[in-house]
Amino acid sequence: MAALLRGLRAGRALRGLSSVVAAPTATNPQCGSLRRGFRCAGLRLQDESKSDKPPSSTSSSTTYHEHYQARSAEQDTVASASDPAADQSTDPNTSYQDQSGEQDEEYETEEQLQARILTAALEFVPLHGWSMEAIAAGAESLGLSSASTGMFEKGSGDLVLHFIAQCNAQLTEILAEQHNQVQLGQAEPKKTADFIRDAVETRLRMYIPYIETWPQAMSLLLLPHNIPDSLKHLSTLMDDIWYYAGDRSTDMNWYTKRAALTGIYNTTELVMIQDSSPDYQDTWAFLDNRIQDVVNMATTAKQVQSTGEAVVQGLMGAAVTLKNLTGLNQRR
Amino acid sequence: MQTAALRVFCHWPQSNSTAMIRQCLKCRALTLQQSSRAYGVIPPPRDSEEKEMVHRMLRVDHAGEYGANRIYAGQMAVLGRSKTGPFIQEMWDQEKKHLEKFNEILAENRVRPTALLPFWNIAGFVLGASSALLGKEGAMACTVAVEESITEHYNSQIRTLMEKDPERYTELLQVIKEFRDDEMEHHDTGLAHDAENVPGYWLLKNAIQLGCKAAIYVSQRI
Repeated sequence: MAALLRGLRAGRALRGLSSVVAAPTATNPQCGSLRRGFRCAGLRLQDESKSDKPPSSTSSSTTYHEHYQARSAEQDTVASASDPAADQSTDPNTSYQDQSGEQDEEYETEEQLQARILTAALEFVPLHGWSMEAIAAGAESLGLSSASTGMFEKGSGDLVLHFIAQCNAQLTEILAEQHNQVQLGQAEPKKTADFIRDAVETRLRMYIPYIETWPQAMSLLLLPHNIPDSLKHLSTLMDDIWYYAGDRSTDMNWYTKRAALTGIYNTTELVMIQDSSPDYQDTWAFLDNRIQDVVNMATTAKQVQSTGEAVVQGLMGAAVTLKNLTGLNQRR
Repeated sequence: MQTAALRVFCHWPQSNSTAMIRQCLKCRALTLQQSSRAYGVIPPPRDSEEKEMVHRMLRVDHAGEYGANRIYAGQMAVLGRSKTGPFIQEMWDQEKKHLEKFNEILAENRVRPTALLPFWNIAGFVLGASSALLGKEGAMACTVAVEESITEHYNSQIRTLMEKDPERYTELLQVIKEFRDDEMEHHDTGLAHDAENVPGYWLLKNAIQLGCKAAIYVSQRI
């Protein structure tokens, strides 16, 4: 009898043990937190990658602006709303039940993963330069294998392009914010030349942390397989700066303005990488002079045009006078 | 237990109606949001493909109106002081309005204008002036040919937009339809003013229409 009871108690104990052993989730706690981190970072990247893309265009400058800000606000609220949801439990079933947020909340796309790795790799650029080692180090810092560098077909060009896209997105945000301030009447609108100078200076200052290795980056961008993308980023950057400077031209001015600004931007960038003055003062002085040159050229062009018109009118007047004098103008 | 269930069922219609009312309000709010759209003529593009398509359409339309402007300017330069001057001036004024509208749309939507604008500037003026040098009938024949090409072009754009999503592009469709009707009017005016009497009408008309087709093709891409 006592032996039977002892056996029963042992059996119960054993069952209790087995339930304890079976209870822990299929994945160990480390894996669970990684998945949570994955989801959160995926959402953050959604914001980043969406703001990386050139902003979509709509109607007038004010409503285009409202749309741009509504989009970024919407992404923020989605991210903040689903962050606590993602943090709640490691149970995989709840993620499928959460229908309220974006569809790819739980899954990270390849672009998002690439963007995450490249962003992490930027920290290692001062150490390794713009190279596959930096990307590998970035991947490892995220807990991923360094073999994931195989994802990047253009190699270190991908890293530079990602950085440039990031900088462009930052600049667009800053310019949009300034535009908003002006619309709300909280700030005075700047003159075009000043606006352009500030925009280019802000954008070039983003290179300062990487200025030692920037010549290497520039040469990478000149490689044939990187040229289309780098030109695309450059053209969208120029278009953005001119748009926020207030350019709404729909004739050849559209092209001449952007071409002029591209020239200014590229030459200033070249000056910057070999500038050793304190806080790059020489670079900003060079930038000022170039912008002044373009402004002078535009004024001169206008003057030439009005002079030309005056000359033509004068000639026409002289011709009519001659016709009158010689009597050719009379009808008989 | 049963009374509780009965109570639930009794209250069901009430709660159902309030829920329905709330849903109806939501629906109405949604449709109001959609109908009082904050943007101008073009809806915000959903992806880069749509943006590319819409921008291409706007670019070529803008180039077309610019070219038409210059053609009428050329015609006015030659025939401005003749009998047909006022008719050409009237058509020119309408084209100016069209160009203004497209300038507005392009600026609002950050559409790149075609790089060939200086070329259309000169080519349009030369076409208008040389057709006017053939006399009033020549100018009218040129008008007929160009307006027919433009009408055909607008019609194909309207077809494309209707095939894709007529509701989404309502405003744009309205604008294009209005302009298409104006161009058809110009075409009829041209015919009414003895366009067909010019010697070599068939040749002239087809040559100009071929040029217009080439211009449209090129302006869409460059």
